Amino acid sequence: MNPSVSCLLAGLLTAPALHAAADSPPTPFADVPFPVIERFENFGRADGIPDEKVHAVYKTRDGRLWIGTWNGLCVRGEDGRFHRYGPEDGLSHKMVLQIVEDPQTGDLWIATMRGLTRYSGGRFTVYTQTNSGLPNNVVYGVDVGGGRIWVATAAGAGCLDPRTGEWKIYDHNNTVMHEPWCYAIKATPELVFIGVWGGGIIEHDPARGTFKEYRDPDRDFHFDLVPDDGPVNDITAWIAWEDGRLWQCTYFGFARRDARGWKTWVEEKTPLLSNFTQFVWAHRGTAWIGMDKGVSVTDGETWVNYEVGAKGEGLRTLHRPGQPPKTQPMSTALANGFVLGIYVDDDEAWFATSLGLSRGVFAGPPRPAAVARAQR
Amino acid sequence: MNPRGFVAVSLVGLVAVGGLGTGSYFWSVGHVRRWTGNPTLGWVSCTRCHGTDLNKLAWARPRPRHPAPAGLAVSPDGRRLYIALDELDEVVEADAEHLTVLRRAAVAGGPFGLALDRAGRRLFVACRQQDRVAQLDLETFREVDSLFVGLEPVSLAFTETPAGERLIVANSGSGYASVLSPAPLKEVARPTTGREPFGVAAAPDGQRAWVVARLAEPDLARGGASAQPAEAGYAHLFLPAASELTCLSPDGGRVLRRVSLESAHLSEELRYVPARNWVLAPLVKVRNLVPITQVAHGWVMSSGLAVLDGRGQVVQVPLDEANDYFADPAGLAVDAAGRRAYVASAGSDTISVVDLDRLAAWLEQADEATRREAIRDLSLAAEYVVARVPTGRNPRHLALSPDGRRLYVSVRLEDQVWVVDTERLTVSGRLVLGDGGGWDPIRRGERVFTQAAHTFQRQFSCRSCHPDGHVDGLSYDFDGDGIGDNLLDNRTLRGIDGTAPFKWNGKNPTLPFQCGPRFSRVLMRTDPIPADDLRDLETFLKSLPPARTRHFTEQGKPLSPAAERGRQLFFATQRPDGTPIPIESQCQTCHRPPLFTNRLRSAVGTRGPRDATDEFDAPHLLGIAASAPYLHDGRARTLEELWTIYQTNDLHGVSSYWTKHQLNDLIEYLKTL
Repeated sequence: MNPSVSCLLAGLLTAPALHAAADSPPTPFADVPFPVIERFENFGRADGIPDEKVHAVYKTRDGRLWIGTWNGLCVRGEDGRFHRYGPEDGLSHKMVLQIVEDPQTGDLWIATMRGLTRYSGGRFTVYTQTNSGLPNNVVYGVDVGGGRIWVATAAGAGCLDPRTGEWKIYDHNNTVMHEPWCYAIKATPELVFIGVWGGGIIEHDPARGTFKEYRDPDRDFHFDLVPDDGPVNDITAWIAWEDGRLWQCTYFGFARRDARGWKTWVEEKTPLLSNFTQFVWAHRGTAWIGMDKGVSVTDGETWVNYEVGAKGEGLRTLHRPGQPPKTQPMSTALANGFVLGIYVDDDEAWFATSLGLSRGVFAGPPRPAAVARAQR
Repeated sequence: MNPRGFVAVSLVGLVAVGGLGTGSYFWSVGHVRRWTGNPTLGWVSCTRCHGTDLNKLAWARPRPRHPAPAGLAVSPDGRRLYIALDELDEVVEADAEHLTVLRRAAVAGGPFGLALDRAGRRLFVACRQQDRVAQLDLETFREVDSLFVGLEPVSLAFTETPAGERLIVANSGSGYASVLSPAPLKEVARPTTGREPFGVAAAPDGQRAWVVARLAEPDLARGGASAQPAEAGYAHLFLPAASELTCLSPDGGRVLRRVSLESAHLSEELRYVPARNWVLAPLVKVRNLVPITQVAHGWVMSSGLAVLDGRGQVVQVPLDEANDYFADPAGLAVDAAGRRAYVASAGSDTISVVDLDRLAAWLEQADEATRREAIRDLSLAAEYVVARVPTGRNPRHLALSPDGRRLYVSVRLEDQVWVVDTERLTVSGRLVLGDGGGWDPIRRGERVFTQAAHTFQRQFSCRSCHPDGHVDGLSYDFDGDGIGDNLLDNRTLRGIDGTAPFKWNGKNPTLPFQCGPRFSRVLMRTDPIPADDLRDLETFLKSLPPARTRHFTEQGKPLSPAAERGRQLFFATQRPDGTPIPIESQCQTCHRPPLFTNRLRSAVGTRGPRDATDEFDAPHLLGIAASAPYLHDGRARTLEELWTIYQTNDLHGVSSYWTKHQLNDLIEYLKTL
């Protein structure tokens, strides 16, 4: 092709993009590799939430927002108000601890303080330790994977095969787990990870029937004596898994395991906001960590922390690699710094706190609705 | 030998025999008392516990197979009729106009339900006995693909969705449906349904599919509230039962809505009516909590039609008339214009013709309260039932020609397909597939079993409470007192050969005694079943094998590790610490293999406040996993509850040392029986 024609064509093709770039305002936090929250919107009793203490938040594939509270399960209606379901509607217990959706059937599985509940097609079905093979009624965590329902209970982990109705129990009697108090469970395509209170993390391969234990090698309860040597602590409060990365919350720090090995963070030596980490949500390689002092968000390098200041104001601190931390005031704050549950997608972040529900609105231009729909 | 010697020897012999006999008697009585722990028990036959050979039981022996038509399908051009012959493992292609058999295809596994693709090139077959769906190429009329699904698939529906073609399969033994993509057959999803999903329908646009469950559960009528864990006791037995109509998204199998059909069950067919955006399901309105003494006043069940309208509201309307009932509505067909529905009453050998225009008009003018109470008003059927067409024995499945002029009826127990001219509402032809099997006492007995003619005003048949001879999952106020005492769980009739006596109190020594004069007096309020029919009925009942609870592919395989551990627990004679378990408290004593019953009554601590006795017949355990609820009054809703809620002081086996692991293992074993 004639070079002059080529240049002309290239110019014609690139001109609109250059023009648009010139007209656009600079993208905020362009150097932060994950969404940054610009402001929070908070929800409480006035919005129909029956109790300030919100334990869990989850958005289903149909776009509906569900929350689990100290006093019932709620779904957000189109009018923005929350509608409550309680034991009188079929929920096994009013205290809801976790919610997940079966991506295939759309069934909602709800962990409560007295049994596991399935919400499907408008109907609740209850599984308890007396009417089923559920290991224990105190169900801290639930996940769906491989066509099975996995639960973390106060007396071991359990697995329900809906096809056969068979329940299996995994505890100190038949696994390497040295105590049965399970706090969290995550089912991946091949493996199941069980977060055990005082027992680190158990990796279970259902196909082979094997169990592998990940414990804090230094065995010190309060300090991470040797960084990056394994789980930061044996007190596993929550776990998350995404694309080969396993994230661990403990009450004495935070950890990640990936193909390169373990990486640990403690508040004394890293940007981690607090050692008391109690929930983590993994999204696109980023961990959203709920703790007693707010929320830390990290991809392992860059950190953004969200706190509630002494006067109730919102504070955002950016920790960029190689740069000093930068704290910025926010126009709004999390409803409370004690964050018990998180849900994040490409559009927004939701936080279950001990004093209400918060929505994190991301900085930057919103994604086109079509993109959001497609990704959902 | 001289006479005196003979007398002496005879006397000694008599004394010896007598002594031996007396000694044997006392030994056997002592033996039975020792093994049962019941010191009041007298002599019982050795055969209660010994000498049973399963292979010699009636249900284990080969039985005659008949060309009984099951599911029907008519080609889109109306020229071909496809008939599933489940007993012969065949699917038949017939000329739909001239009623002649054209081709036969061998399809193993009890082909029962049929569905055609939209172009009429592929026929999908639900093979009930082999838990699979087969695909037949209609060009060659041969099976070209197959996929295992859930237990006992009985019906399927084809639809086209934006995500591609879909088959929705009702797995009646599994409690879930299978959503398949058909080219090649592959599972897309496995959504749970109500208990015993049986009927299935799909909207032609692929936006919605529905599955109806055949059995009701006590929980559903209260909108799920009673899904709460049961308290010890049996208050939950007094809740009305409801079956479930499950609405699915066919593309991915997501459950969109679960609709309760209150106080209704035994829905076996489902039709979507595009012209009205209705879903129709025939049903039996069951009043199991009404005392049996009310049978002469309309107890205990009537037939109806559920209409789920586009707004999601359900109205149940009656198909019966006062003093004239049409029992066991089974098959359902609706014409393309949505003008007429046809309902086959399998127990009354009748097709009821429903004018949907008139039904719609009635629904339009009825207020909400009237709609809610409609099913109770037996004068209402005259508003929309415009004809009753008599058929042969046991019409079960229906199919309409595309133009709606010919209604095909599988007259199952006569081995025929009848054709009804829908303009004249007369029978216009018959396709004879077999001789009707009148020579076979099992077939004759099945006719008695499915016939409502023996009950008061033809209200119900044996099958109305025992679909396929099994359970309906309900408890009945079956006693003569009529005041709500002695509620009884409906026991299975499957696998009962060799398990006499019958009834929960074990007072009926034989099936003719159970089903004869006593039934006519207490239950049917009519003349007894004639002696010959009763004999055939007994033969039929004894021929019913236990309910199958293992997937076809699992049959004959070793127990899973969990089930094997459970087996060891079941046969345990001592606790882990070596403490012996008393003989009378070992599982195997009362539930003695191979039938898993010693056919004796035992007190296992289950007497309720409304029971007149604390001794109940030990039921056999074959197919136990499929016969929930449990205990004599059905208070235990799951096997687990037998020991977690309703166990009293280790009277029902010694379970106090079990861990949760062991309980789960035991249940896995019980599910294999």
